[in-house]
Amino acid sequence: MKLTLNLFSRLGLTVALGVSAVTAQAQTAAAPPPAWKQGMPDSMANSTLAPLPAKLTATKAADVPLSRIKLPPGFKVEVWADSVPGSRAITRGDGGKYYVGTRPLGRIYEITDNGSTRTSRVVIDKLDQPTAAFKDGSLYVVAVDKVLRFDGIDKNPNVAPVDLTANFNFPPEKHHNWKYVAFGPDGKLYVPFGAPCNICEPPSAEYAQIRRYNADGSGMEVLARGIRNTVGFDWHPQTKELWFSNHGRDWLGDDTPHDTMNRLKMGGHYGFPSCHQGNLPDPDVKRAKPCEGIEQPVALMGPHAATMGVMFYTGTMFPPEYRNVLFNARKGSWNRTKKIGHDVVLVRADADGKNAKVEPFMTGFSNEADQSFWGRPAYLHQMADGSVLVSDEQMGVIYRVTYSK
Amino acid sequence: MPLFNIRKAWAFLGVALLATPFSWGQAPSSRVALCGACHGAQGNSTLPNIPSLAGQPKIFLENQLVLIREGMRDIPQMKGMLDNVPDSELTALAQHYAALPATKPNASRQQALYSRGEALSKDMRCGICHLPNYVGREQMPRLAGQREDYLLLTMRAMKSNQAVGRDPIMSASLHGISDEDLQAIAHFLALTTP
Repeated sequence: MKLTLNLFSRLGLTVALGVSAVTAQAQTAAAPPPAWKQGMPDSMANSTLAPLPAKLTATKAADVPLSRIKLPPGFKVEVWADSVPGSRAITRGDGGKYYVGTRPLGRIYEITDNGSTRTSRVVIDKLDQPTAAFKDGSLYVVAVDKVLRFDGIDKNPNVAPVDLTANFNFPPEKHHNWKYVAFGPDGKLYVPFGAPCNICEPPSAEYAQIRRYNADGSGMEVLARGIRNTVGFDWHPQTKELWFSNHGRDWLGDDTPHDTMNRLKMGGHYGFPSCHQGNLPDPDVKRAKPCEGIEQPVALMGPHAATMGVMFYTGTMFPPEYRNVLFNARKGSWNRTKKIGHDVVLVRADADGKNAKVEPFMTGFSNEADQSFWGRPAYLHQMADGSVLVSDEQMGVIYRVTYSK
Repeated sequence: MPLFNIRKAWAFLGVALLATPFSWGQAPSSRVALCGACHGAQGNSTLPNIPSLAGQPKIFLENQLVLIREGMRDIPQMKGMLDNVPDSELTALAQHYAALPATKPNASRQQALYSRGEALSKDMRCGICHLPNYVGREQMPRLAGQREDYLLLTMRAMKSNQAVGRDPIMSASLHGISDEDLQAIAHFLALTTP
């Protein structure tokens, strides 16, 4: 292995010392490896695995191959909203409007549900991968480097946002810092700080964390550490514990490490960078007894599967056996010679996280035979009637899944 | 880029727009003519610092056209040219240029520079994304046979974090590299047969 610990610690030091150190570094030594190359062994130097392309143009409902989607008996799927390129985050406003964040074009869409049809407008665009949450009449837009609050947007669609960015003190490195955000049962805003690399000793302590804040950005608390990149979480309906997805690192082969589903233990450490999936020591960032004291996952979600949006089902539309079950969107792998994911799965587990079983729920977005895919489920949202919205980041549409006997 | 070319392009567009009806699903010839004024009639540029579009991956072209239209990738010479152009037309343009053959490079090879660029490209693993023969795929551009001056201009911008709207992966990938190395890589890639 050519990439050494030395290189990573040097990177950490360089960033910590600031710009002048970076300049000096660039003149005297090899550059730190870019995130995609970190941890890539020489044996994979000729690999052609690479992130999958985003689609930036709008897709009409009629052009979505809806009939290929498979669901358990009794479930139906429709295209609920179309022409939302790169749609990912979904949140619902108090007045019943929906807000959808998109990544490549940096937009927040407002979608108005007129019953059988939907209309949409762009609230704001050109942000860095914005996502959204809603509380007490205000829309919170959280980009990689910005937090904006739109007060009373229901009554005043053109309200100028209040810029809360300074209060949140986001980290300078942008990699893995798309933010899944949600207000918890405690009224606080939960915000992940992803690791700014594939695998590294983070340049400063603020990365690989889950934090929570008061809605205005005050009262920050670090809740847990060693979390490489969570891109989905929700609170267990009975225990009120936070369960969160976490992406495993790249370039450790097709079958390791797994993405994971986890329960949040206050003050817990989840292993990054030295231990993955609770039991797998990292070959690049080595420590003595790296997995000792590391929180164990509830479930392994598939290697490189890109486990994303998390939602506990609490509605009554779906049959009783779906109550309190965790739904998880898996966007699909790139760092794997055979693709997995591109689906929505269920995690059935005891309330204490024991006896977890992962089973398919919504499939048909990919074709194993030719390794093609057309859809990438990313985010889940339960509607008031108990139906479930699923955003498809590839198609730029939102599906609605319903059930009837 | 010399100003007269832009003027010529706009004049050409004015005539072409009057002459050409628009149809869905097909790149209107007026638009193709406008692009061609700078990027070459067949998508192979003959102008300094203007990239060739012929034989680029369709998704790459489509994504860039959207980003340029949205103002997220800022190209002063193209400002306003794609305003309000519908997605369907951008897709058609992307298909049009993706299907055109890239011309073979005809510049003279400086062997030492070429060899150094070849080794650097391999060592930096450019081929993982751009493919081992650098023809690009999906969202990643074809580098083989692209104009040398454009490759160098772009890599310099990426290296110094000035390439607004381009994939930040490239800034990270070129971080700290010397200008001599960039020149070698640009020379090698430009003289690589697409």
